[in-house]
Formats: sequence, structure tokens, C-alpha cells
Amino acid sequence: MGIIELNDIYTAYEGGDKPVIRGLSLCVDPGEYVVIGGPNSAGKTTLLESINGLIKITHGSAMVCGLDLRRHGNAVRKKVGYVVQNFYFDPFTPFTVEEVVLMGRYGRLGLLKRPSKEDFEAASKAIQLVGIEDLAHKTIGTLSGGQQQKAMIAHNIAKEPEVMMLDEPFSNLDFHAREYLQGIFKQVVRSGTPILMVSHAFDGLPDIRIHLVVMNKGRIIYDRECDSKDVESIIRKECAVNEDARISH
Amino acid sequence: MLEFLIENNVVCRAVEAMVFASIACSILGVIISRMNLSSIGFTMSHAAFAGAAIGMYLETSAQIAAIFFSMAVAALIGPVSDKAKMAADATLGVLFAMSMAVAIFLISYLQNMGRGLSAGSLLFGNVVSLYREEIYALLLVSAITVIFVLAFYKEISSIMFNMKIAEASGIRVKVVYYILLFIIALSVSLTLNIVGGLLIFVLIVTPASIASQFCFNVKSMFMAAPLVAISVSAFGVWAGFKYTLPIPPLVALLLTGVFAISVILSFKRRINYKKY
Repeated sequence: MGIIELNDIYTAYEGGDKPVIRGLSLCVDPGEYVVIGGPNSAGKTTLLESINGLIKITHGSAMVCGLDLRRHGNAVRKKVGYVVQNFYFDPFTPFTVEEVVLMGRYGRLGLLKRPSKEDFEAASKAIQLVGIEDLAHKTIGTLSGGQQQKAMIAHNIAKEPEVMMLDEPFSNLDFHAREYLQGIFKQVVRSGTPILMVSHAFDGLPDIRIHLVVMNKGRIIYDRECDSKDVESIIRKECAVNEDARISH
Repeated sequence: MLEFLIENNVVCRAVEAMVFASIACSILGVIISRMNLSSIGFTMSHAAFAGAAIGMYLETSAQIAAIFFSMAVAALIGPVSDKAKMAADATLGVLFAMSMAVAIFLISYLQNMGRGLSAGSLLFGNVVSLYREEIYALLLVSAITVIFVLAFYKEISSIMFNMKIAEASGIRVKVVYYILLFIIALSVSLTLNIVGGLLIFVLIVTPASIASQFCFNVKSMFMAAPLVAISVSAFGVWAGFKYTLPIPPLVALLLTGVFAISVILSFKRRINYKKY
């Protein structure tokens, strides 16, 4: 049984005339590195936000970490790490990197419970793993986009999630930082935690089998394992085939 | 409570009222300003104002009616924003206009019916003739505010950092948000007749804005904002009585002056031009 099992799901934004995701089925097993690619507005971010219950599933069944997503959205969010796309923290944001990383643990603690020594240790380990020890006491708004991105990745690693989802995690990072983080993601996957990554940057993917999902117009048009070096070419090919088919119709 | 420090009963009650109102409003202000919900201050104050007018129309306690009406408005903010898919700020604007319309309608109606209504104390506040029960109510609401922040600190700080990231982490954002709205409604309706509907906004927003000029973390903001509010309002009460000046607008002007100075002196805004 997969850690994520989506069966014929539809999701729609309130007031939207059409479902954004239509009849999508997907199974992700523990330890898989899933890359989700496709053109803009294919529904990639919507898929991630549906998996952690931020967007309601209107039809179909969805089990995430053994829980029925349609009934236990908040419980699922406690088990799923999610690095959101396009965040910006203004220079007056009154939180240090250390505090932000610790916040990754807050959801799983539950209401009224205080973080324990174990939570502080997990946050500290995540900071070390991502290599931002020197930024730990700085306020997050004073950091560069790439440093903020690393802090948010540490925030999710500290959570020790059962599934980690990353939406454009390399958007602000140089190639050294990308390679470094890909190394970390490889370790995460090896520990059994699957990663679902939406990205347009495929250089430096770890040298492991990739579960590639290509989306277009709210549907999955390719869902197979492939070699990490073939990811970009398959996405290009699939999107081009899809576009040709659309034009010929 | 402060009789051992201040002999004059009237001055003592005014100081106590301003101190407790400052604690509640400024702590809530830190949360509100970080969440970009500053307009909640004037929406709630006008909701309380409309509630007080309803109370006068129904010939019941204006304060209790103010509490109920502002609670009702607080209960509407979340669902209206969710259902109408509007930003909370737009919903606040709609509810503000509705509250103001209810208040003006009832005040005009009562005056036309020959039931004279003085809205002056609701609009501009009155710290001179306060009952002991009102002071105890303010003490209670400031204690509730402090307990709320201490109990839900991790949830509140996550929401203040980023609402979407907090929700994605599994924080029960809506529960905390609704409790926050109810505490704001309670604080504002109890503070209404002390500082007045027009000036309550100053106690909510300005101390938090002053604290944000100097504080690098949210814990220090939660301590600095009430300290600033208490110091300035206690000084305002003293100066008001000493020089026979209207206290609520004086406190508002003093806080605005401190804010202007803090912006000039803020080391967070300084740029280091030193060449290495």
C-alpha cells in the first residue's frame, strides 16, 4: 500500500467554473523521489496542496499516511512537510531562523503543548543539516531569497515528516546550493521518506531512480520511473506530444 | 488597586483603567499588525459603538449590548471572508460601514423621537467617571489576553509568521483566529467608554508599531508594546489631570509623538555605510 494513494480525484477552487485537477490517480511508495513536471498552470501546485488538504478534494478517494484526507485534513498536514512556493518575508519580520525552524515542529505538538528538548534538538539538527548554523540567530527577513529558502527547507526537515513536498525549492538557489540540497534530499529519500518535488530546474537531480509524473491541464500524462538524467528530456517530449495532439485536434 | 500609590480616587481609577486597557489593546495590537489586520481595530470599535446605540435604543445596558454586538461582528468576519472569498480587510471594511450606519441611524432616530442620546462618551471616551466594576472588567480582559498569548504562543507566533505556512504545518489556524477575534471584540467593547470609539485604534496599533521599530523578535515585541502603552497612558492621565486636558486624545497624541520619534531613532532602519 502506498503512502499516498489518490484515486480518480477532482479538486476545484471555490467559484471556479472547471475543476483544476480532473480524474487524477497517483500512488507514491515510501522512499520514492517523485518529480512533478509540466507546463505552467498544469495543476502541479494544486496537486501538492490537495495532498496536504489545503485545497478540498471534491470527488474521488485520497489516502495520505494511512489517513482519509477528506476527513482528516489537519492530521495529514501534521505528517506532511510542505515547502510552499513564492514566499517573501519582509525585513521587519520578527522571527529568527532558529525560531522559524522550530515552528516546523509546532503542528505535530497539538494545541497548548510546549516544545520539548527533543523539538529543540530536531530544529538544531535540521539547521546543521541544511548548513545554515551561521544564520540561526538572524531574523529571517534580513536574509537573501536563497537563504530564506534554505531556512524553509530546514523548517520542514525539523518536522520529521512522513512525506516531504517541495514546490519549486530551487527557485532562488545557485547551482552549488542546489547540488548541496539535492544531496540532503537523497538522504531523506534513503531514510524512507518520499519526496514530491515540483520543479522546472532538473540539473543536479540525485543519481537515483526517479518516479516522474508529468501533468498537463489537470491530468497526469506520464507516470513512470526513469533515470534522473532523462527527466528533463521526457518532460519536454511529453509536453510537446501533448501540444501537437491539441493542435491536430 | 493602586490606591497605595495614588491618593485621589478619580485619578487612581483613570490610571488603572488606562493601564489595563493598554495591556489588552497593545498585546492584541502586536498580533493584529503582524497579520495586516489593523483595520480590525476600527471595525470592532465601531461595532461596539453600534452595539452601545442598540443597547440605548432597547433601554438596556449599553456596555453589555456593545459586547454582544461586537462579538456578533467578530463571529461574522471569518465566515463572511471565507464564503465571499474576500480578503479579511475588505470584509472588515464592509462590517465597519454597516456598524457605523447602525449607530448613526439609531442615534438620529432616538434624537428625533425626543429620547436624547449623548454619544460623546462613546466616541471620545471618559476616564473621569468610572465605576469600580468597569475597572475589574478591564483587569479581567487584560488577564484573558495575557493568558491567551501565553497558552497559544506557538500557534499565535506561527500565524504571525505566515498564515499559509502555519496551516500547512498542521496548526489549527481557524480556531486561534476566531478566539483572537472574540478577545478583540471583548477588549474593544470594554475599553470603548474609556478611550472612545475614535481613539481606541491608537491603543491597538501605535504601541505595536513603536515596538516593531526596535524589537528583533516577537517575544520582545509582546513585552515592549504594553510597556510603552502603559508608560505613555499613565503619563497622559497624570498630565491630563494636572493641566486639565482631555485625557484620551492627549494619550493618542503622545503615542503618535513617541511613534514619530521611534521611527527617527529606529536602529532597524539604519544603514551601515562603513567601508571595510
